[in-house]
Amino acid sequence: MYKTRQHVIRCAAMLLLAAQVMTASAQLSLDSIQVLDEVTITSKQSSRTMATSQTLQGEELQALSNTSVADALKYFAGVQIKDYGGLGGLKTVNVRSLGAQHVGIYVDGIRITNAQNGTVDLGKFSLSTMESVSLYNANKLDHCQSASEYASGATVYLRTRRPTKDSLSVQLRRASFTTYMAKANVQFERKGWSGFIDGEWTDSRGDYPFRYHSEYEDTVGRRANSDIRYGRIEGALFKGGFSSHIYYYDSERGCPGGIVRRLSDKYVNVGREWDRDFFVQASYQAHFKEHHHVKVNAKYTNEYLRYCTDYPENQNTARVDNHYYQQDGYGALCYAFTPWQWLSLSASYDVRYSKLAADLKKFDDVFRLDQKQVMAAQVNWQGLQAAASLLHQHYRDVTFAHVGAADPLERWTPAVSTAYTWEGLTLRAWYKKIFRAPTLNDLYYTQVGNRNLKPEYTKQLNMGVEYHFDSPHWNASVQADAYQNKIENRIVCLPLKGTYTWSMMNYGYTFCRGLNATAQGRYHTDDWQFSLLGSLTWQRDVNRTDPEDEDTYDKPICYSPTLSSGVTAIVGWRSLQFTTSYLYVGERMWSYADPEDVLKPYHNIDMKLTYTLPMDKTQWGVCLEVCDLLDIQYEHIPRYPMPGRNYKLTLSFGI
Amino acid sequence: MKKLILSLLCSIAVNIQAQERIILLNEGNWQSDNGKISYFEDGEIVSNQWFRDANKRKLGDTPNDIIQINEDLIAITINWSNIIQFISPDGKRVAETEDVPNNRKLATDGRYVYVSSYGHECGTINGYEMFTKGYVAKIDIHTFEVVATCEVGYEPEGIAYYKGHLFVANTGGYAFQEDHEYETTVSIIDAETMQLVRDVDTGQINLYGKLSQSGQYLCINSPGDYYDIPAATVIFDCEAALAGSDDCFVVLEYASTYSCTMLDGNFLAIGARFSYYTSEYKFNYVVIDPREVLATEGAGGVEESLPGTMLDDLMELGMPYGVYVNPYTGYIYATDAGSFAAAGALIQWSPEGVFLGRHKVYINPAHFLALPPDGMEFTGIESATNDAKPTTSYGIYDMRGVRMDGLSTRGIYIDNGKKIYKH
Repeated sequence: MYKTRQHVIRCAAMLLLAAQVMTASAQLSLDSIQVLDEVTITSKQSSRTMATSQTLQGEELQALSNTSVADALKYFAGVQIKDYGGLGGLKTVNVRSLGAQHVGIYVDGIRITNAQNGTVDLGKFSLSTMESVSLYNANKLDHCQSASEYASGATVYLRTRRPTKDSLSVQLRRASFTTYMAKANVQFERKGWSGFIDGEWTDSRGDYPFRYHSEYEDTVGRRANSDIRYGRIEGALFKGGFSSHIYYYDSERGCPGGIVRRLSDKYVNVGREWDRDFFVQASYQAHFKEHHHVKVNAKYTNEYLRYCTDYPENQNTARVDNHYYQQDGYGALCYAFTPWQWLSLSASYDVRYSKLAADLKKFDDVFRLDQKQVMAAQVNWQGLQAAASLLHQHYRDVTFAHVGAADPLERWTPAVSTAYTWEGLTLRAWYKKIFRAPTLNDLYYTQVGNRNLKPEYTKQLNMGVEYHFDSPHWNASVQADAYQNKIENRIVCLPLKGTYTWSMMNYGYTFCRGLNATAQGRYHTDDWQFSLLGSLTWQRDVNRTDPEDEDTYDKPICYSPTLSSGVTAIVGWRSLQFTTSYLYVGERMWSYADPEDVLKPYHNIDMKLTYTLPMDKTQWGVCLEVCDLLDIQYEHIPRYPMPGRNYKLTLSFGI
Repeated sequence: MKKLILSLLCSIAVNIQAQERIILLNEGNWQSDNGKISYFEDGEIVSNQWFRDANKRKLGDTPNDIIQINEDLIAITINWSNIIQFISPDGKRVAETEDVPNNRKLATDGRYVYVSSYGHECGTINGYEMFTKGYVAKIDIHTFEVVATCEVGYEPEGIAYYKGHLFVANTGGYAFQEDHEYETTVSIIDAETMQLVRDVDTGQINLYGKLSQSGQYLCINSPGDYYDIPAATVIFDCEAALAGSDDCFVVLEYASTYSCTMLDGNFLAIGARFSYYTSEYKFNYVVIDPREVLATEGAGGVEESLPGTMLDDLMELGMPYGVYVNPYTGYIYATDAGSFAAAGALIQWSPEGVFLGRHKVYINPAHFLALPPDGMEFTGIESATNDAKPTTSYGIYDMRGVRMDGLSTRGIYIDNGKKIYKH
């Protein structure tokens, strides 16, 4: 691995060539997938130093105490998680204060979309099928990637694990707050084909206790209407440059509201939500004639959401029963040309067709055609790397709704990156300008939509340094990036002057400066294995909206901590593994109105102990986790408490 | 106007400085449990968490209306907490009830409190009562229990007491989510029996927001549906309605999103007409003389001007969120909700409209109550009738609008549109 990486650094283009050779030769050998994988990783390694990225993969990813993708991402520098609490609470991720809608989440290079509101609930995605989770600020810089991969401010890549052998594993879990989980995974590898089927069923009452204690209250209670049950089944099939994925998720959950003053428990929130998400996607990539690389992506998504408060118990609030249907067809064509070893040119075209339907009054079906083209070039010459891309996006909506469709939106946006590497040390700098188009909710949603919205722009500038050290037992890396972001024309919901109504509007300008740093060290012998992973975020992002308003101008953005950090230590001895994670998130203000309107800083300690016992050809395992060991009461959203200390016991069996 | 106050003050011959005492409800953010009370006295904010200071506890989520019942008691509806909070004028808790969930606005006759509710259930002395539409609950201030209820239209909002009757503006505001249409009616209820007398159809949908009362006249806002139907204002004559007339209101093509009653009995209204189709936005500010409006069927009685510099000052506000005239002194107030995540502001003008100051309060400052100046007793003055055009003698009324046969008890009464003080 060390050897390969050096190779890459010296002359990445050589590898591209090598990759083609290997692929060609791989067709003759049975372990072709292995070879191809190796190439994918190494070629990515070359660009990864030019892009700012963080990755959790393999054993380290599985060693973390996590139930969803959100749990893994919170250990990355520059990431802020918004979590409404509990298993069922909406979990979204915000990177470097850009806002959740600027973060694209990709499964094997294809974006998970939500035409309605543009955010992805990370609670819906399991890590058990993932080989790695990566966060890229700005572009990933593969030499052949789809146009939509250039179209988000930050990108999270979830890479599905490609099985290398036949296996069956079953997990059963009992956790706090009456939570039960059962999971099964079958995977196979035959004649170059590999794949898996992974299913999970979870049921949780989620009635965790909370306490609010201050000068003005001592509120103790248990979360009500916080239950969730979900089933998830997904499968994947791979062969060589072909990969495919099918996914189905079905859930029902309660929507608990904020904890507010009440005289008794007589009136509780009764709102419930149902989700049914389905997608199927496939991707194929191939090299031909040495200089050419082609990738084709296709995806179909079908999502259903129902929100209902129309119950006999609800005699006091609006009785809502709304259904939302989204469908999304997506196709991408990418082509890369490598005329010389040091140069790669690529062009990609993406098209997405979305349909949103809902039984809201004054609403009708909305259709969106979203097309993107990108042209990109990459140079790798004697340790010097540079990449530039120009993205063109075009949005066109059609609706039968009486408000009419927004005008078509068309914009060009650039990104440039450069890096220089010498003896494992890389210096890099990049700039990216990108926008998010107003979502269909922003434009057309009944009684808030505003079809005159302009896109919300982000401009990111980053300078960083990265160092890798490898030896037979040791492996370490550190990186630090200083960045500056500007966000213009934020799309927010604001009340209209002199009416009782609210509307989406372009309002707000954010200026953000920060520092992200990560350090990783690993040491291993035959029996022992140590890993230490650390991340640190210092950030000052301020509101630059209204210079006249001294209460808000140059004041920190709400919900954004100045300082946050995380440390994870993993110790393995033979088949025993112990992980402890520490997370600190500093004080965040949630309103400018009162210095007391802050979310207190919190420390979180999670621990996980795993023991695996091989018996004949089977493996038995037991895993005990403690989350929030110190039982810290904290929140991400005011009055939405997070669960305190909780336990998980998992038994596993595998062949 | 000032002369009137001066003569009033002289007539009671008590040693007073004209003290401005304003209680202001800050709604806070929905589901954030940060409703707060600001208390303002003589040009200064005494506290922006007056209730917390006095009671060492939080007020609750989204306070929605405040009213003084008698000299010792004030009621506050705290909508998302489902609480009606009773406090004394010094801010101390007296009692609270959760019997009226989704409570909205308040009215009183001094003995009972009447509260409108969007909910469909109510805890009463006879057990829980259920309603298909919305209702009005009558709360006994001796026991703080609901003694009677009356079902009205869907989502009833503004409520006023006049001559033993309640006038309730129905909104049907959940029409966007629920399976019913907007309401267009004002329900008239006999306050004593809590029986519905009749519904007056105004032809205007969604009679939403706090209504203002000036003696027998009401100023009711209709924001329309924000799509096809534009905002309007209904000027309503309770006296004519009680007499059985269907001709008891006039519709004006102005929005009165925020309105209040001025010392001379006119209404001050500000608001905007907005349509999601066009995103067009028309701001208006008016002074409405209800008598003139009713007499001319809307042809006259509306002036597009505000006292002093008020208009210019209002236009500078980030987000006007309430307007109020102190019924004791005539000082004028407005609130600015600003950017909604930052502290709002309370703005004060003299009765002539001279800008006096801007004071930082809390998030979404919206609902006002003036306490009587020191030395003056609580009168129940929400408004006075117009003294501009005295016609025939109307007799003497108390502050609830009840006609008096003779003046036996001490207090302030209204004689021919003027306040008089009986020693």
